[in-house]
Amino acid sequence: MNNINILRVYDTSLVYIKRLVNLISGLGMLVLVFTFAWLVYGRYILNDTPTWVEQLSLLLVITIGFLTSAVGIHERTHLSVDIFTQFLPVSGQIFIGLLADIIMGTFGFLMASSAIDLAQFSAAKRIPLLDISAAFRYYPVIISGALIFIFSLDRVVRTLNQLIRPTTINQENT
Amino acid sequence: MGLAILLGVFALVMVMGVPVAFALAIAAISAFMFEGLPLMVGFQRIVSGMSTFALLAVPFFIFAGELMLHGGIAARLIRFAAASVGWMRGGLAQVNIFSSMLFGGISGSAVADISALGSLLIPVMKEKGYDDDFAVNVTVTSSIAGIVIPPSHNMILYVVAAGGGISISSLFMAGIVPGILMCLLLACVARWIAIKKKFPTEPFVGLKILALSFLASVPGLITAIIVVGGTLSGIFTVTESGAIGAVYAMLISFFVYRTMDFKGFVLAVTGSIRTTGMVMILIGSASAFGYMLAFYQVPAVMSTFITSISDNPIMILIMLNILLLCLGMIMDMAALILICTPIFLPIAAGFGMDPVHFGIMMMMNLGLGLCTPPVGACLFVGCVVGKVTIQKAVKTIWPFYIAMLAALILVTFIPSISMTLPNLLIEK
Repeated sequence: MNNINILRVYDTSLVYIKRLVNLISGLGMLVLVFTFAWLVYGRYILNDTPTWVEQLSLLLVITIGFLTSAVGIHERTHLSVDIFTQFLPVSGQIFIGLLADIIMGTFGFLMASSAIDLAQFSAAKRIPLLDISAAFRYYPVIISGALIFIFSLDRVVRTLNQLIRPTTINQENT
Repeated sequence: MGLAILLGVFALVMVMGVPVAFALAIAAISAFMFEGLPLMVGFQRIVSGMSTFALLAVPFFIFAGELMLHGGIAARLIRFAAASVGWMRGGLAQVNIFSSMLFGGISGSAVADISALGSLLIPVMKEKGYDDDFAVNVTVTSSIAGIVIPPSHNMILYVVAAGGGISISSLFMAGIVPGILMCLLLACVARWIAIKKKFPTEPFVGLKILALSFLASVPGLITAIIVVGGTLSGIFTVTESGAIGAVYAMLISFFVYRTMDFKGFVLAVTGSIRTTGMVMILIGSASAFGYMLAFYQVPAVMSTFITSISDNPIMILIMLNILLLCLGMIMDMAALILICTPIFLPIAAGFGMDPVHFGIMMMMNLGLGLCTPPVGACLFVGCVVGKVTIQKAVKTIWPFYIAMLAALILVTFIPSISMTLPNLLIEK
């Protein structure tokens, strides 16, 4: 398998990861909305408030927030300030971009490793009303950190590849 | 030294193009490392910042806004606005502002407002001979009504940042008159420019069409009544009313208007999770950043510093407004609300300013920041939707800035503009 094929497989994997994350988060959003509507229905119509809804919702918000924010790195949907780097020459812009991606990747790595510690630390505790391990709160953070690392690494590899072999990338794009 | 690292790292990585949400987190984690605090605690602050019960309303409001955008509610509101104010000079600009008042009052999000109304109105305005930068500027500045007129998820952030002691119902009520005032001033500016540049007038469509367009928009307008009315009456919490509002918007789009198809629904869900992700990580990161600011006693130092310059409430209010305006230009609104509220609210409360009044002042002030470069989410989205460069839009946006500033000054120094409604309607 040559380098171009490896890059294609890698690209496809990232697209599938992104779709899977969007699917999980989208379903999470729907569950979030309908369980809260169920809470209101239970309270006023059934006279039996489902108390587990609040804890489940907090878990879902953490999941949606962390997973989609990692995808946002890949899709470049996060709000950032590019106005200052625009004043730099192209080589300067590439260098600063590369540095920013390395910083993001390092942050993702630290986030994942710290979240693993947090999950281990809280594994024995239970989330009240849901009766599941409190480590579940940190699983989305671990995945998000890993995804941020992967997506940032992807950007670093692409930039370096473009710098080293610009023609290969051009061929690949066509 | 630790504080210098916190602020320095934040400024450096933000200027390098790292997303603002992550710049805040990276700066906070750097400060944690410098102080020798466990990294685990830093990341736990980010998680706990996001998992606050009151913040659950945020994704619901965002989802409701997306459903309105893709489900035909926004289009019907525009039709009603066109029938109501389209006959005025620069009619489509007035329609844009009036639609923002209606739509922003339902979705509670300025960016959703621009996406929904801008994508429908800006092309029509350009086609009818309006300047493209004028069309973008009207859309961008009037979208701030979405932040000030209830419901508004930014108001929920303010209540959370203030420590939860403020009534969200009071804040919702307090935003109505300032929001309308701001829109009226923007409408005056739009009319003045329209007369000067001889922009067209639309013919009056007649009372029958006006009544029909109103009736068609009523199911959409009921969303606002559910959310605000449910919260004010105490029947629902703000989070529950947000969820009920989203379910209602879904039902209206699918079964009453029948304009929502599966593709539109997927777009609404995807748009809402994307925005939720952006906002929630910003909230978590700002919480960790705010924790380190408190660790370095910045709120207390700032309070002493500002009160040492002057003990005159008017001077302090002017200083706070200038500080917020400057910060609003370089940082995102959600982050600023979470970081600045614990610092500035005690100063304002110290000379007797009502926290609700301060909250509305802060919303309007930071809303102005959303329309200014270099970090102005609304300006960016508006320019993308209107296909206009930021440089071109900013050159002609000044009259609208002045109108928004005038509204801010009036609301800051005349408390009754914001406080009359909550004092009348909310029992203390």
